[in-house]
Formats: sequence, structure tokens, C-alpha cells
Amino acid sequence: MAALLQDISLIGDENPWLRNLRARGRQAFAAAGIPSAKTEAWKYTKPRELNNDDFIMAQPANLGSAAYSLPFDAYKICFDNGYFNPAASDLPQGVEVVPLIEALLFCPETRRLAGSLADIAKHPFAALNQAYLNEGIYIRIEKNVQLKKPLFILSHTTPAGQNLFFNLHNLIVMEENASAVIGEYHYWTGELKARYFANLVNEIFLAAGARLQHFKVQDEAFKAHHIALNSVMQQASSRYEAFCLQRGAGLGRNETLVKLSATGAEAEVNAAYVMNGWATLDTTTDIEHLAPSTVSEQMVKGVIGGDARGVFQGKIHIAPNAVKTSGNQLHKALLLTDTAEIDVKPELEIFADDVKCSHGAASGELDANQLFYMQSRGIGLAEARQILIDAYLDEVIAKISNEKIREWIKLFAQSADK
Amino acid sequence: MTKIDTIADSSGDKYKYGFVTAIDAEAVPPGLNEDIIRLISAKKGEPEWLLQFRLRAFEFWQTMSEPTWAKLTYDKIDYQKLSYYAAPKQKNAPKSLAEIDPKLLDTYAKLGIPLKEQEVLAGVVAVDAVFDSVSVATTYRAKLAEQGIIFCSISEAVRNHPDLVQKYLGSVVPYTDNFFACLNSAVFTDGSFVYIPKGVRCPMELSTYFRINAKNTGQFERTLIIADDESYVSYLEGCTAPQRDENQLHAAIVEIVVLKDAEVKYSTVQNWYPGDKDGKGGVYNFVTKRAACRGANAKISWTQVETGSAVTWKYPSCVLQGDNSVGEFYSVAVTNNRQQADTGTKMIHIGKNTSSKIISKGISAGFSNQTYRGLVRVSPQADNARNYSQCDSLLIGSSCGSHTVPYIENRNQTACLEHEATTSKISDEQLFYCRSRGISEEEAVSLIVNGFCKEVMQQLPMEFAIEAAKLINVSLEGSIG
Repeated sequence: MAALLQDISLIGDENPWLRNLRARGRQAFAAAGIPSAKTEAWKYTKPRELNNDDFIMAQPANLGSAAYSLPFDAYKICFDNGYFNPAASDLPQGVEVVPLIEALLFCPETRRLAGSLADIAKHPFAALNQAYLNEGIYIRIEKNVQLKKPLFILSHTTPAGQNLFFNLHNLIVMEENASAVIGEYHYWTGELKARYFANLVNEIFLAAGARLQHFKVQDEAFKAHHIALNSVMQQASSRYEAFCLQRGAGLGRNETLVKLSATGAEAEVNAAYVMNGWATLDTTTDIEHLAPSTVSEQMVKGVIGGDARGVFQGKIHIAPNAVKTSGNQLHKALLLTDTAEIDVKPELEIFADDVKCSHGAASGELDANQLFYMQSRGIGLAEARQILIDAYLDEVIAKISNEKIREWIKLFAQSADK
Repeated sequence: MTKIDTIADSSGDKYKYGFVTAIDAEAVPPGLNEDIIRLISAKKGEPEWLLQFRLRAFEFWQTMSEPTWAKLTYDKIDYQKLSYYAAPKQKNAPKSLAEIDPKLLDTYAKLGIPLKEQEVLAGVVAVDAVFDSVSVATTYRAKLAEQGIIFCSISEAVRNHPDLVQKYLGSVVPYTDNFFACLNSAVFTDGSFVYIPKGVRCPMELSTYFRINAKNTGQFERTLIIADDESYVSYLEGCTAPQRDENQLHAAIVEIVVLKDAEVKYSTVQNWYPGDKDGKGGVYNFVTKRAACRGANAKISWTQVETGSAVTWKYPSCVLQGDNSVGEFYSVAVTNNRQQADTGTKMIHIGKNTSSKIISKGISAGFSNQTYRGLVRVSPQADNARNYSQCDSLLIGSSCGSHTVPYIENRNQTACLEHEATTSKISDEQLFYCRSRGISEEEAVSLIVNGFCKEVMQQLPMEFAIEAAKLINVSLEGSIG
């Protein structure tokens, strides 16, 4: 654990508030340690390799803007080994997008937000992230503003034979009736076997009537660790729409916590994962219905090949007063090999009677009859499998409302090793 | 469908079976140590191997800590304050019913157990009645013995069939399994033993009634059922306990071994004292039940109706080792007032072509909390395993809670697993429809609840189904309006 808790000096250490915040994160992580199988929230996903203690703090690789390309028009916030890369970035005009550290130091009203949603007592890696709170972006979309183009956070890692470690912490504030499409793309170039560790936290605030579409593609190196916590707080009639595709990393975890704290708030949290080799990919959700007439929908689908392990833990919590709510969840997994594994824990926690809640989970293999049908019509086995797998994932990918992003994500899903 | 008038019948909200029979109980002093275990073993005249089994379990138990993962809150149990053995005082072992304490028989009469040996009546069952800890009478034994069926108390089985007991005791639930099972292994007093020989279909439903009677006695039952090749048995377990203000602990073990082509059906109706309206008193029920399908084509079916106990911690499980073996779990759990239940099942698929089915219906009312907690695990060699799980919850009132925590672990691509869970309340439309046809609100709720549970209730043997339906109505009394 020592390699993850190095004593380095960070920007703003002279600020007592910031120093204190970092110290609290440090203490919380030191106390909790790296979760083991005994930690219920990490029962199936075991970040054991983080115990190896051979990580070094990442340094920027000085990438140019060529390293950050997207097939559609978007604003770009670029990160290079976890460091903000302003030269490569293309920031929107008239919207507040500033490095997090600047916001915290010069704009004290942002301080009450940082760390307010990511509970460091419950989430050890959020605590670790807070111990290094420095890099990341602060985005504020003002009241009634609609962002014209998608805003993408591009996190590029260039491991050069070293096990890099970096933290990113983003604060996204959507004011009343603001609307935006925000994407995240996590990728890498360089040495295939690099065992770097990206530790990410997003804290997202949606004021009344705000709408946010949040897309993410996780395509890290195949031995990398990617652990992300998305914590969302929603006010009345706001809508949060998330989709995350995980197709890379040796250990990837995308955890989404949503608090539907006022009447009429809606959340749709969908995800897909495709994997192979020895990977463990984990999708964890915790949707808290804290107010009446709130709605949540979840669909997660996965394709697991090789010796890989898929993990889905989904929780729907309904507070005692949250009547007339609806919470639905569905998880499906496709196992492609006899060494693949899927572990699922869908959970309902309900303290109110006038609610409609359901969860479903299913897992199985490709339908032999369907394969036979295609083969009998002259489609080769490999191609038939590919068609069926793509169709399987299509059900959830089709839920992405932005067409260009949907096609982009579909390509990632289809080209993944299976 | 049961008669709806049972709600009106029962006297207020008092626990119907809340009476205490004054019988001299021969109890050992409270406390738990090696000497107590030696004393229990000596009182029961047990062989050395069983004493060693108990002592090993006790030694291991001291290294364990009470589990806290269940969604249950209860006062800490002081294991040193409990008395671990209470047997009704008897001069000699009774040879017929006439020798049995009439007060005891009277208690059973109130519970409606057909203990008296009568000619074969419709739906008659052989009852190995357990009063506190020692079996006092075993009926229909002769008739069963004709077919080679052994149905007796476990202490008798230890004396008369030591080879069978030694071979299977602890083979399904080892003493290292969990805290409460380990405690039971150290201090179990009595229970039932069933052996169905090869190719025999047990001609009647076997039944046992558990009662907790003497004050301050924990009840540590141990049941062992062995169904040899191609045999069949249906076993019923029903429980009522007198009203008492102190919490009583019950930590039982049921072990079932199902061999090749055999089938066991195990049904339970549990209505121990749930505590009063404010959650005072009531039984703590920590039970480990597990069946192992050891041979090919073996089948085990658990059916449970849980209406009683202040705290229930119970996960009847199926270990499907034999190829083509089948495990089933049907459960209705009703909690009212301050009751808490954390219950469910485990289906462990090991053999090829194994299948399992889980139907769980939970009804929460009042201030109660209920959790379904289940595990479906498919090991890598369990080709073509199949599981279907359905967990439905019904909430009555806005202060209760209902939770579902299924764990699904699949390590075989050919397995096909499905899990569904829903939570809802009784809809106003349903209620209005019944009310508009002259059915009172309480009757309407009972009607709807019984319909909700029907899938499970129809798995119960006839005589049990009627009692169970009545119990559900009684348990939900006062929860409406």
C-alpha cells in the first residue's frame, strides 16, 4: 500500500482546507486498506495486484493534439497520464470549464461540492483519490444553457515500461434546466502489458430540471486497473442518462451511485461489457430513491470469453417516504467459453409499500439452434457467432439516444476481442 | 382456498398457542463449557465417538464469532445464560401412550396433533413428537418397521443404528459450517432420524412437532434423514411454541442425504412465538438446513411456511452433486409487527444436467423487515445446469421493509440461469373490486394474500396446507387499516 500512499507535495498544499481534505482521504484509505474478498462490496472483484506496491506516480508524456481524436465533432478536455493537457484541449466558450485545482483554490464556493458525494468512509478508492485531489476538471453548465456539442473527457495513458498510478477527480455541476452531453474515453498507447492504475471519481450534481447524458468508453491496456466511482445527486425532475462500455483493463470497475433526492427525478443507468483473457470487469450500481415519484431504469449486458470474470452488483434502495416510485433493473450475461465466469448480485432494499420494483438476471450461452440456423444458410460458425454476439449487445447499445455516439460505441463493442 | 372466517375466529391478537404446560423439567444448570457437554452426553448415554464429535465442535465454536451479515438486529445472546439440556422427567422410558404424562398429551391435543395411536384415519401421520428436547413418543413405528423404515429419535438411532449415524452425521452440515451449526453440533439434545431403505416408498407422511416449553432452554434439534437408492419420503415439520416474554434461542440442524434415484420432500410450517406488538419476546430461530443429492437423479424439495419467530435466519440449501439431480425451494414468509426474517436458499450445482427452482414469496406488514437472501452457484463441471428463481414481495403498510439479495455465480457456459424479483403492494383496484362485492377489507386482503402464496401452498401436503393458510391469516391480523 505504501506505493499508493506516497508522500509527494501537491499544488495547494499550503491551503489549510485542501491540506485537511487530502489528509482525511489519506487517513481513510490507510485505515480501510485495499479491499479483500471479505469486503462485501468487493466480494467478486479482487484488486489484489494493487498490493504489489510497484506503482510510481505518473508524469505527463507531453502528447500533442493528434493523440486525441474523435470521429465526431466534440469539445475536448484532454488528460495525459492523468495530467490536464490544455494545449490539446478544445474547450467550449461561455461555459465554465476549469482545472479542478484552480476552481477549489480561487472559487471557494466549489469547496462544499468536492468530496460531498463520494463517501470516503464507504469507498476506499475514493479516499485514495481524495488523498491526491489535484487533477481533474470542474464543469459548470449555467441555468437554462444547452451545450451545443458533446463535451468529451479524453484520458490517454502512455505507460513506458512503468506501472503508473494517477488519480482524476471531476466535478460536474448542471444548474437548473441546463442540458449537456458529456463523454469519457479512457484509452492508452504503448506497451501492451503495462500494469498502470487509473483511479477516477466523478461527482455530478443535477439541479431541478437539468438533463445530462453521460457516456463512457473504458478501453484501457489489458493488464491495467481502472477503478471509477460516479456519484450523482439529482434534484426535482432532473434526468441522468448514463451508458458505460467496458472493453479493456485487467481489472475494471465502474461504480455508479445515484441519489434521486427530489420528486420526479429520473435516472437511466445502462452498461455493456465485453471481455476476454484474464480480465475482471465489474459494473456496480446503487440507485437510491429518496423522494416520491422517482424513476430508475437499468440494463446491463455482458459478453464474457476466455478465462474472464464478469461482475454485476446492482442495488435499488427505496426510502420509507419514496412512494409512487418505480425501479427496474435487468442484467444479462453471455458466456462464450467454459472457463468464463459471471457473478451477479442484484439487490432490492425497499422500505415503502406503494412502489413498483423489479430486477431480473439471466446468464447463458449462445443458442445452439440459432447458430445451426445460420450455418444451415451458409454463414460460417465464426461469423454466425459474431452476428449473434453483436445482436446481443445491440439491445442495450440501442438505448443510447445520441446517434453518433451510439455508432461510435457500437464499433468499440463489435471490434473487442471475444 | 381456506375459509376466510378464521380471522374472525381467532381471539384477538393473542398468540393462539401461548400456553405453558407445567411439567417438571430436568434441566442442567445454565452455562456452556466442556463439562456441560460431557454431562449432556453422559445423560444420554452416548458412545465415545459422539462425545468427541461434540467436543471438537465446541472447541471450534470457541474460535468463531456470531455472523453479522444478515439484515437482522437483536439483543446480543448470552450463551452462558442458556441452559443446554431440559428433558421431561420420566421414571422409565414409556412403553405405550398410557404411560405418558396426561398433561403432555393435553398440550398436544390443544395443538391438534394426532398423537394417539388410532386406526388409520384419513391423512393420518406418524408423529415423532419432540417435547423440549427428548422424544417422548414415536407412533406408527411398527408399521414403518415392516418395510424396514427407521423413524425414531436421533438418540435412539445412536444406540440402535450407530453405523448409519456415524456415517452420515455431520456429512452434509459439518460442524465447521457456521456459528449456529457448530453450537448445535456441540450441544444438540435430540431430534428425529429417518432411514428409508433401498426401493421403499414411505407409505405415510412422516411428521414431527417441535415445541419449546421449559423456560430458558435453548432448543438444539438435530434431524438426519437418509433416503437410500430409489426411495421416497415426505417429511413434515411443524412448530408452535408457548408465549413467553424472554427471547428463546433455537439453533437446529436438518441434514438430508438423498442417494441415487431417491426423492425427499421436506415441508415446514413454522409459527413460533413472534413476540408481541412492540417486539418484546419471541423466538430467535437460527437454523441450518441442507440436503445433499449424492446420487444420480436424486431430488430434494423444500417447502416452508414461515410465520413465526421474532428473528428468523434460515437458508434451506440443496447441494446437487449427482448428475440430473433436482433441487426445489418453495417458501412463503410472513412477517408482521416487529418480526425480522432473513431467509432464502442455496442451490449448489455440481453434477451435470442438474436443475433447481426457487419460488419465494415474502409478505411484510406492520414494522417488520424481511430479506430474501439466496445463492445459486454453478461449478465449472456442472454442464447444462438450469436454475429458475422467482422472488416476489408484497408490502402491507408503509412502515415495513422488504429486501432481496440474490447471489448468482456461474462458472459454466452451458448453464442457463434466470432470476426475477418483484415488489409490490396490494393494489387499490383489487381491494375495491372485492369490497364492491361485499367482502370486508380484511377478508379481501386475506383472499389476495392467499392467492399471492398459492404457488407455494399447493406444494404442501393437504393437512399442512390448511393449517398454513390459517396461520398466514392469523399472522397478518391487525395489519390492515
